[in-house]
Amino acid sequence: MKVTYNWLKEFVDFDLTPEQLADLLTMLGLEVEAMEKLGAGMDDVVVAIVEEKRQHPNADKLSLCRVNDGSGVLDVVCGAQNFQAGDTVALARIGAVLPGDFRIKRSKIRGEESCGMLCSEKELGLAEESAGIMILPGGLKLGQPVFEALGLKDTLFEIGLTPNRADCLSAAGIAREIAAKLDTRITYPPAVIVEVSEAASDMISVTIEDSDLCPRYAARYISGCRIAPSPEWLVKRLNALGIRSISNVVDVTNLVMMELGHPLHAFDCDRLAGRRIVVRRAAEDEPFTTLDSQKRTLTADDLVICDAERPVALAGIMGGENSEIADTTTNILLESAWFRPAAIRKTSKRLGLHTESSHRFERGADIGGVIRALDRAAALIAELAGGSVAQGIVDAYPGACEPMPISLRPERANQLIGIDLSRTEIGRILSRLECTVLEQPDGALRVTPPSYRVDIEREVDLIEEVARLNGFDKIPTTMPKARVVSDRPSAHQRMQRVVRDILVAHGMNEIINFSFTAPDAADKLLLATGDPRRTAIRLANPLIEEQSVMRTSLLPGLLETMARNVNFRSLDLKLFEMRRIYLPTGPGEMPHEPICIAGAFTGSREREGWSHARGAVDFYDAKGVMENLIELLNIGGVKWVADSPEAYYHPGKSCSIVAGRERIGSVGEIHPTVQESFGLERPVYCFELDFEKIVSLVRQKRTVTAPSRFPDSTRDIAMLAPDDLPAEKIIECVRNVKAQEIEQVEIFDLYRGAGIPEGFRSIAVRVRYRSYERTLTDEEIGVLHGKVVENLVTKVKVSIR
Amino acid sequence: MREQLERLKQEALRAIGEASGEDALQEVRVRFLGRKGELTALMKGLGALVPEERPAVGQLVNSVRDEIETGLEVAQQAARERATIERLQSERIDVTLPGRRLAIGTKHPITQVVEEVCDIFAGLGFSVAEGPEIEHDWYNFEALNFPPEHPARDMQDTFFVEDNLLLRTHTSPVQVRTMLKQKPPVRIIAPGTVYRCDSDATHSPMFHQIEGLMVDKGVTFGDLKGILTVFTNQLFGQKTGVRLRPSFFPFTEPSAEVDIACVICGGKGCRVCKNSGWLEILGAGMVDPEVYRHVNYDAEEISGFAFGMGIERIAMLKYGISDMRLLFENDVRFLRQF
Repeated sequence: MKVTYNWLKEFVDFDLTPEQLADLLTMLGLEVEAMEKLGAGMDDVVVAIVEEKRQHPNADKLSLCRVNDGSGVLDVVCGAQNFQAGDTVALARIGAVLPGDFRIKRSKIRGEESCGMLCSEKELGLAEESAGIMILPGGLKLGQPVFEALGLKDTLFEIGLTPNRADCLSAAGIAREIAAKLDTRITYPPAVIVEVSEAASDMISVTIEDSDLCPRYAARYISGCRIAPSPEWLVKRLNALGIRSISNVVDVTNLVMMELGHPLHAFDCDRLAGRRIVVRRAAEDEPFTTLDSQKRTLTADDLVICDAERPVALAGIMGGENSEIADTTTNILLESAWFRPAAIRKTSKRLGLHTESSHRFERGADIGGVIRALDRAAALIAELAGGSVAQGIVDAYPGACEPMPISLRPERANQLIGIDLSRTEIGRILSRLECTVLEQPDGALRVTPPSYRVDIEREVDLIEEVARLNGFDKIPTTMPKARVVSDRPSAHQRMQRVVRDILVAHGMNEIINFSFTAPDAADKLLLATGDPRRTAIRLANPLIEEQSVMRTSLLPGLLETMARNVNFRSLDLKLFEMRRIYLPTGPGEMPHEPICIAGAFTGSREREGWSHARGAVDFYDAKGVMENLIELLNIGGVKWVADSPEAYYHPGKSCSIVAGRERIGSVGEIHPTVQESFGLERPVYCFELDFEKIVSLVRQKRTVTAPSRFPDSTRDIAMLAPDDLPAEKIIECVRNVKAQEIEQVEIFDLYRGAGIPEGFRSIAVRVRYRSYERTLTDEEIGVLHGKVVENLVTKVKVSIR
Repeated sequence: MREQLERLKQEALRAIGEASGEDALQEVRVRFLGRKGELTALMKGLGALVPEERPAVGQLVNSVRDEIETGLEVAQQAARERATIERLQSERIDVTLPGRRLAIGTKHPITQVVEEVCDIFAGLGFSVAEGPEIEHDWYNFEALNFPPEHPARDMQDTFFVEDNLLLRTHTSPVQVRTMLKQKPPVRIIAPGTVYRCDSDATHSPMFHQIEGLMVDKGVTFGDLKGILTVFTNQLFGQKTGVRLRPSFFPFTEPSAEVDIACVICGGKGCRVCKNSGWLEILGAGMVDPEVYRHVNYDAEEISGFAFGMGIERIAMLKYGISDMRLLFENDVRFLRQF
C-alpha cells in the first residue's frame, strides 16, 4: 500500500516528521518497508525571475537571459521560447542534479557564459512531456526551492500490510491508525452532492438474487457526464500511487478506492439492458469477456453483476467490456457494493485475475462504508465530468450486517499480555480505535468494533488491539515461571550429532542438497526396473523439472555436488550428507522419511604438500571411515559381505555392511558408467548408511577392560594364500585359536608379483601375545604360535613361507 | 719426585685444556690416569722412596689424581654441553614450511546454526521435537487457523503433492503434532526443513526454520519478550537491542515481528538493514485460541507463545553471507571456511 505524507495530513492532524511517522506506523504493525523523498536533492532548483531576455548573438534558437534568483543576477542561456522577461521560472543552479543524474555545470554555449539552466517540467520529473520551460505563478519567494514553493515536497511510504488489515488498504485507513495512536479523529474528504430532482429509483433498479454472496448493493445514477481526461492533480495523485490515468470517471472510482478503501465500479448506464442490475451466480460454463478483453468461462461459484439480459461485470473483480465507460458515455450507474470475501477470492484465484478491487474484497471491505464511498465518488464525478446526480440512492441491503458486540474481560487481557491496565484504561484504548465500549455489571466490557474492522471477532482480537495500541514496548519483559519439563535429547537426536562429529573428524565436509531432484536420477544410478527407489513422490507444482521429485537416495545429489566442485578445480573431495530421503507408502498413508548418511571420496587422500607423495583415495579409505564409525558408535557383529549390492557400484569393489541379519549400508567404488553419466573423470568411492537402523543398533553399554601390565611379544607369519581366500578368513582363523593371550592380529604386508606364483598372494600377519596374569615365557608363546600356524595350514590351507 | 708430580699435573691440565672434545678427553684420561698411564707409572716409583717420605708423596699423588679427575670431569661436562649445542645448531629446520595437515572436515553452516540455537534453548528448558516434511494440509494450515480460501495462505507459496499432502511451508505443524501428543506444560523447539515455491537471491525453495512453543498456566506476552531477549542476546551478543512490533500470523494473537539492532551497523543504518537500523529475525506471538481448539486444549486454562525463525537468515547475518544460494551450492571452498 502506497501513501504519501502530505496526503495523510489531509485526513489527520499530526506534528511528526516523515521519519517519526514511519516509526509510528511500523510500531503499530503497519510496516513501512520503503520511504521515498519526493523532490529530495532538488533544493538547488529555485524560484527565479527573468529580468531580461535577448537574442543569443551566435545562435538563432537560443536566448540570453539575466535571471534573478534572490541572491543575485545570473547569465543563463536558454533554448525555449515560451517565456518573456518578467516570468517566474525554475532555475537549476550550478551543482544541481536533475533526475537521470543530470548535473548542471558552468558552461559556455556558443561563446556565451551560462550559469545554470531554466527547467521544464519534464526535466524536473514532474511530467512525461513538456513544451518549453516551466512558468511558475507570480508572487513566489525568489531563491526558494521550487518543490517547496509548489508544495511538491512529499514523502512516499510503502507499507507492507498483513492480510488481516483490509481496513488499512486506503489513505483513510492508515490515517485512522495514526489518529487512534495520537488520540484524535480523522476528517473524511468532502462529499457534497447537489441532487437533481429526477429520482434514481425511477432511472435504475437493483435486484440481489444471492444475498449471501452479495449482502449489499448500492447505486447512484449520474446523467449528462462528459468523459474527458482527468485534471492534472488527479493524474498526479494516481501516478504517485502507481495507477495509470484513464478518464475522469474511471479515475474518480480509483481515487476513491485509494482514499477510502472501497472499490467502486462505473457502468455506462445506456449499455445496461433494462437499466437494471441483477446480482446472481453465473451459470455453469457461462462465457464472459472482462474489460481486459479476455474471454472467460464462469462457474456457478462465480458471482456476476448482470443487466436485464447478460453479465456486465465479474462481481468485485473486474467490469465487462460490454458496459465499460467509453468516450461517448453520458449516463452512469455508479456501483458501491459488498461481496463475500471467500467467494471473491475463489473466483479471482481460479481465473488468475487479481485486481486492486478483488484484493480489497477478498480481505474484507467495509460494509458500513459503502455509502460514504458512493457519495464521495458521485460528488467528484459531478464536479469533474459535469454530471447531474439523481436524487437518492438505490440501496439493496436485505439484511443489515451490523458488527457483533464482543465481551472483553480486562483481567484476561492483563493476564495474557502481562500488563496491569484498569478497565477504564482498556476501554479508552478501544474507544480510540472507534470501538463502542460499554461497561458491564460483571466487570467485563461490551465492545462493538467499527464495521471496517472485519478482523476483530473475538475477545483475543480485542486483547491484541489493546496490546498493539498501548505499545508492545510498554509490556514488561519477564521470564516464565519455571516448571521444568525439558527432556534430554532422544538417542535419535544425539546420535545425529555424534555421527556428524565423527565424519567431520575424518576430514569430511558436510553438504546440504535440495530434497527434490530430477526424475531421471534413478536412471542415472542404473537402478533396476523394480527397485523401490524408482517410485518417488512427485510434486504437483515443481518450479523446474530438475526439482520435481522427492529424492529416494542421497547419492545423485552427492555425485552432482562432486562434479560441480571438480569443475571448479577442487579435485580432492571428501563429502557427506546426512538428511532425510522420502519413500512413498500405501495410499492414504504418510510417506516414510528416514534419515540416511552418504559419503563420497575422490582425488588424493592427503592435502598437497612438500613432504609426502600423495596417494589416490580408494575403496579402503571409504571402508576405513565406516569401520571407525561403527567402532565409535559401538555397533557389534558387523560383517562386510562382498555381494555386489548395488547396480551403481563396481561389482568387484563393493560390499554390503551387515549387522547381525540386517543390511545397514554399503561401500563401494562407483560404477564407471554412473561415474561418467555424472560427468566425473576420476573414480569415486561412496558409502551409504541407514541412520534409523544404526540408531537401533548402537549399544549404549560399553564394557571396558583395564590394560594388561605385562610385556607383549609379537610373532610374524608370512604365508602364500590363494587370491580367492578372503583376508578376513585368515584373521578369523587366527582368532579361532581362542587363546586369551592373542591380543591383536594384524595384516601388515600384502604382496603379489615377482616370486609369487600366479593366482596367489603373499600375506604377512603379525600376532601380538600378552597375558593379563604374567610375563609369557618363550616356550609358552612358542606353543601358542605353533597352534596358530598349524590352524592356518590345516584350516585355511595356506603355505607358510 | 715432587717435581715430577707437579710437572705431570701441569702437563695433564694443559692437555685437558687443549682437548677438543669428549673423545680427546678420554684419550687424556687414558694417557694420565689409565692403567698404563703416566701417573700410574710414576706411582710405581713410590717404592723407591725412603719410607718416611712415602706418606707425604702418596698424599701428593692422590691430590694430583683428584685434580686431574676434577679437571677432566669439568671439561667433559663442558664438552657434552658444547656437543649438544653444536648438534642442535646443526639440526635447524625451516619452521616456516607448512605443517603436515590432515584435511579439515566441516559441518554445514546450517547445521552449526541449528545446533547453536538448539543448545541455547536447551539451556532455557526447551526440548527438541520433530515432524514430517511431507505434511497434511490439516497440520500445516487448517489446525493453525488458515482456513481454506483464506488470503493468509497467499503468504506461503506451497508445493503440493497429492491427497491433501504438501511440503510443509513452516515448522509450525510440529506445534500441532506436539500438543496433540502431550498435555501442558509444553516447552519445545522444532528445527526443520521447510519449502516454498520461490527462488531468488533471498529466497530458496528449500530452507530451514526453528519453531518454538511454550504452553503452560499463566504464560504471558511479557514472558515471550523475556525468552526472546535472552535468546537473541546469547546468539548475537549481550547488548543486542531487541524490539517487538505488531504483525499478523493466523496461529498467534497478538502476533509480533521481532527485530534486533542491526548486527552490521549497530543500529546506525546500513545497506543490510535498509537504513532502518533493525533486522527482522523472528515471527512470534501468543498461541491463538483457534489452535488450542484444534488440539483440545482449554484456552481458558492455559496460555502460551510460539515463535519461529529462519536459519538461513541467521547464518547469513552471523557470517556476512549476502546470497542465500551460496548455502546450497556446496562449494567446498565455501564450506571449508566454517
